[in-house]
Amino acid sequence: MNNTIDPRTKLFLVLCISTIGLISRDVLILFSITIVGIIISKIFGGNFFVLIKRIKKLLYVFFFIIIIQSIFTRQGNPVIVIGGFEIVTDLGLNRALGYMFRVLIIIISGVIISTSSERNTIQGIVQLGLPYEFAFMTAVGIKFLPLLIEEFKDTYMAIQLRGINIMKLPIWERFKITSYIFIPVVASTLNKAKKLSISVESRAFRAYDRRTSITSLKLKYKDYLIILISLTTAFALIYLKWI
Amino acid sequence: MKDFIVIKGLDFYLDSKAILKNINLTIDSRQFISIRGANGCGKTTLSKLIMGIYPYSKGSIKIEDREVSEMSLSEIGRKIGYLFQNPEKQIFTSTVLEELSFIYKYREDIDKSRKEKEIDEILDTFDIRNLKNKSTFFLSQGEKQRVALASVLLNKPKYLILDEPTTGLDYKRKEMLSEILDKYKNKIGVLLISHDYNFVKKHSQKIISLEGGCIVYE
Repeated sequence: MNNTIDPRTKLFLVLCISTIGLISRDVLILFSITIVGIIISKIFGGNFFVLIKRIKKLLYVFFFIIIIQSIFTRQGNPVIVIGGFEIVTDLGLNRALGYMFRVLIIIISGVIISTSSERNTIQGIVQLGLPYEFAFMTAVGIKFLPLLIEEFKDTYMAIQLRGINIMKLPIWERFKITSYIFIPVVASTLNKAKKLSISVESRAFRAYDRRTSITSLKLKYKDYLIILISLTTAFALIYLKWI
Repeated sequence: MKDFIVIKGLDFYLDSKAILKNINLTIDSRQFISIRGANGCGKTTLSKLIMGIYPYSKGSIKIEDREVSEMSLSEIGRKIGYLFQNPEKQIFTSTVLEELSFIYKYREDIDKSRKEKEIDEILDTFDIRNLKNKSTFFLSQGEKQRVALASVLLNKPKYLILDEPTTGLDYKRKEMLSEILDKYKNKIGVLLISHDYNFVKKHSQKIISLEGGCIVYE
């Protein structure tokens, strides 16, 4: 099914999913969208769980933010009270879960888009009427994502090879040391961006105002059906919940 | 001399393709050994297997009589210092001084009172005193390599693995690296992975050639 669905349909689907994810405050709706998103990504040939496994280390940072968010939200009814202190409230828990599902929805959106080939994604964005430069940069971003994940893993490993047992550090130090991963990754990303820009310029990128393309995408019956279903569901949810 | 690393009957497959076949190797703790071979012959893979970065299923790799597969990365890192082919990956902080201080901050087994003295010494040994407060973002390839190697050596490893340390270095920088290796020659053993035959010949007590994943010359 993966190769037969137009990348524009996938982009539209992602737009609907992420819009609901962004405006919804209801944890149940966010949870449902996450589950539906995982199923859709699987149908399209993506593997959400493989990606989650690969970015496992990065997820610790998200969980840390979730914990902090639930602890520092003071409004609402107490859920966990220790020694008279309200540690977690229902509102805090709600916000933290909402944050977690939103992060998962972003990851799922990436998985859905990445099930199309880089060339087709660019073509899809161009045929949507967006400038080629924008389409090209989006595709490059998607392409570099696995490399970025690899860099995160390598740096995490390099820290341990300095003789530091991260798991034995106190929890605060553990999160602090994780922040060091970003420096080599940012440095390498900047380097890659610099090299890429030199490389595309040397191949006469944007030499002419208009570009021609050998491939042309055409929306099929099932594409229209998917767009219709996602649009109807998104509108129905917005109407029932907020209007 | 003591057998520091002992590899027996090691096979390594990646996506069902044999990368290393029946590797048997014994490395003494003070020995300077070099591994040569064409691109893709398995040199870096072998070093990563020794460092516990890649898991192996057939054969055995022992560091000081302990199986690598049973050791954590941090345990291996305390025994063997590893310089990556791309030193950028092992520079974590924003300034050179912070980079050199990194292990004193997070290693509980290191004498923190010796921090100033040891950093001071390493700055001179590696001729990087002028870089002390420089941002790691703006270091050249050679400078990054020296900073990474200096940081690794502050760990006081018993052995050192250098993966293609001469890549991207001009003659002057290679000479500088040579001088540094000479300073450590009798203090620490080194496993050097390099294409640079002259560099390998100059330093090594033993040269190993890898071809098609097998040791063809020792």
